[in-house]
Amino acid sequence: MLLFKPLAGIIIVLALIMTQGCAFSRGTLGEDISSESVDAIKKATTTKAEVLSLLGAPDRLLQVNGRDVFQYYRYDAKVGSLLLILINFSRVSIKSDDLFVIIDREGIVEDVILSKRTDGLKFRFWPFGE
Amino acid sequence: MKLPLSRLCPILLSTVLCVTFVGCNVVRFTLNTPITQNDVAFIVPGQTTLADVITKLGTPDSITDSYTGVVATYRFLDMKYSRVNFGWLLKFWSPVDADLLISRTGLGTDALELLCDSNWVVTHQSFLRHLSGPRFNPYPF
Repeated sequence: MLLFKPLAGIIIVLALIMTQGCAFSRGTLGEDISSESVDAIKKATTTKAEVLSLLGAPDRLLQVNGRDVFQYYRYDAKVGSLLLILINFSRVSIKSDDLFVIIDREGIVEDVILSKRTDGLKFRFWPFGE
Repeated sequence: MKLPLSRLCPILLSTVLCVTFVGCNVVRFTLNTPITQNDVAFIVPGQTTLADVITKLGTPDSITDSYTGVVATYRFLDMKYSRVNFGWLLKFWSPVDADLLISRTGLGTDALELLCDSNWVVTHQSFLRHLSGPRFNPYPF
């Protein structure tokens, strides 16, 4: 047990000497897509005007397959850095939340597609591996 | 006290390694989670719908129109950057902050494109490029 104390001390001192600092940064683009607003949109019932009042104007307006598609997106970037004296490690991870609202020729919602990829986004500094 | 050669070698080796890696930077940049061939193995052209794909892979990054239907695109990027600054060595002797840098960036961009018919059934699927992925290698020459 006594052997571990000097070893732990050496490791702590080495870590303090080697570590210059850490850095965490975050950047976002666009507003968070509210799940409540998306849940309020009902297929074959909600109108285009109601979608606009719930979510605001879309980030992109597409015409696909004879339908209007409203695309809403939000990007989230997390940057983690470990700054050592000899070597620095950094990792930037960016993911997006995307919502597509497909509206038919009558102006009624045909489908709602949402995926929130940013929920699992973590701060990482280790650049190797996955 | 004189150090024996067997004890001196690891110290010298670690010093050389430390000096070699002085001023190193290793940076990785990822956009979305890369999709592999295994991830899209479930797609059967003519049977799988875009809704099935979205259930497994999430929403595409873009949906565009085509003459035969719809093109859904999933984009992802994996960038690796490494840099070594040998000029850092001069810090101990020179009043000037000199730099001797070598660096290299590997940019792996790819996209999965799904062509769907007017009923949202996937008819074709393909990756733009089949990348092996960039490596961390600061040597630019």
